[in-house]
Amino acid sequence: MGRSTKVSGGSVPEQATPRQQNMASYLYGVVPADLNLASDDRGLGDPPGEVQLVRHGEVAALVSDVNVDQPLGQPDDLLAYERLLDSVAAKGPVLPFRFGAVLASPEAIVEELLTPFHDEFLGALRDLEGQAEYIVKGRYVESALMREILAENPEAAALREAIRGQAEDVTRNERIRLGELIAATIEAKRDLDTRTLLDALSSHYSTAMVRPPSHEQDAVHVAMLARTGEQRALEKALGELGETWDGRVNLRLLGPLAPYDFVIAQEPGV
Amino acid sequence: MTTSVQPAATGQMAGRPSPTGLADVIDTILDKGLVIDAYVRVSLVGIEVLTVDARVVVASVDTYLRFAEAANRLDMAETGEQGLPEVLETTKGVPSADRTKKVVQGVLEAADEKLTDIVESHGMKKKAPRRREEEE
Repeated sequence: MGRSTKVSGGSVPEQATPRQQNMASYLYGVVPADLNLASDDRGLGDPPGEVQLVRHGEVAALVSDVNVDQPLGQPDDLLAYERLLDSVAAKGPVLPFRFGAVLASPEAIVEELLTPFHDEFLGALRDLEGQAEYIVKGRYVESALMREILAENPEAAALREAIRGQAEDVTRNERIRLGELIAATIEAKRDLDTRTLLDALSSHYSTAMVRPPSHEQDAVHVAMLARTGEQRALEKALGELGETWDGRVNLRLLGPLAPYDFVIAQEPGV
Repeated sequence: MTTSVQPAATGQMAGRPSPTGLADVIDTILDKGLVIDAYVRVSLVGIEVLTVDARVVVASVDTYLRFAEAANRLDMAETGEQGLPEVLETTKGVPSADRTKKVVQGVLEAADEKLTDIVESHGMKKKAPRRREEEE
């Protein structure tokens, strides 16, 4: 994260940027060659680059021109990148590249990326056909969570009584012990609730990835690869789970998204 | 090398989901997706990519103290003078129909919107969130 994309090997940037005015090709992802771009698709950068398809055979790279003298990674860039990939993902399969992928030119993309890896990309795109990523995020409702923990754990309840009305520095040890208990209990609950969620939705996704919690009171954080045509059924199943977790966990469903969590390049030691 | 569709290893980054949309985006895209270095080595262009702060969720003494305070606050704000038996009863109590409806509806509404919609509806922020510890 936040890592600069480096020119590796013996090449130097000057040789790698033969195009006029330090422009280069920002690479969002690889899509089937017959994808239709929406007229309002915009790339990142300021001003936003025009999004183009660089085709080769049955695959194409989704690119836009970018000025290499401008650092990337402003919030607007991240949002533009994500918006473009997700709008494409809603229409068909896409192999997203990690944020920050820039090549010298469309020609270089064809020669170095699309030509040598055409068949791999095409195979992966076919595997993805009809599917997109969906993310489920669930956050515990703090008061309900604390009440649940205190009710289940007599030691926690006793410690809570011990710190009541006491100054923080006087009860520091008790507070730390109580917090530690709570943290461990949340972790166990998170595992259990994640398992419950995956079981409840099991008929609605083909693959799931449990993401690391992004907040200490996260109940679930899961990315799923699911069929876009069956999104309603997924929503319904999640809604039913939300009902059983009423007042305890607030659930959100994001998607359809590009399958960020489900694409991987396997290197046999290049 | 093959490109396959399977779970990718996730990095250690973590963010705080927030209604701004940007946090969701950062959570979602950073450290994920295909890495171009794995494919291309010749015409890769060096371009500065700004770093984004991300706080890994690690339980620490600070976390513990915050949790303890949350438990303490719960006691004062919501359970009043209740003893443990009443707390137990509250926990096991049936939630009101109203809240059920609200939550379920919330889920369905959320499911309907794409992340892009969320992003759009909240406009663009100029700065990435750098502090993640504040309450909702």
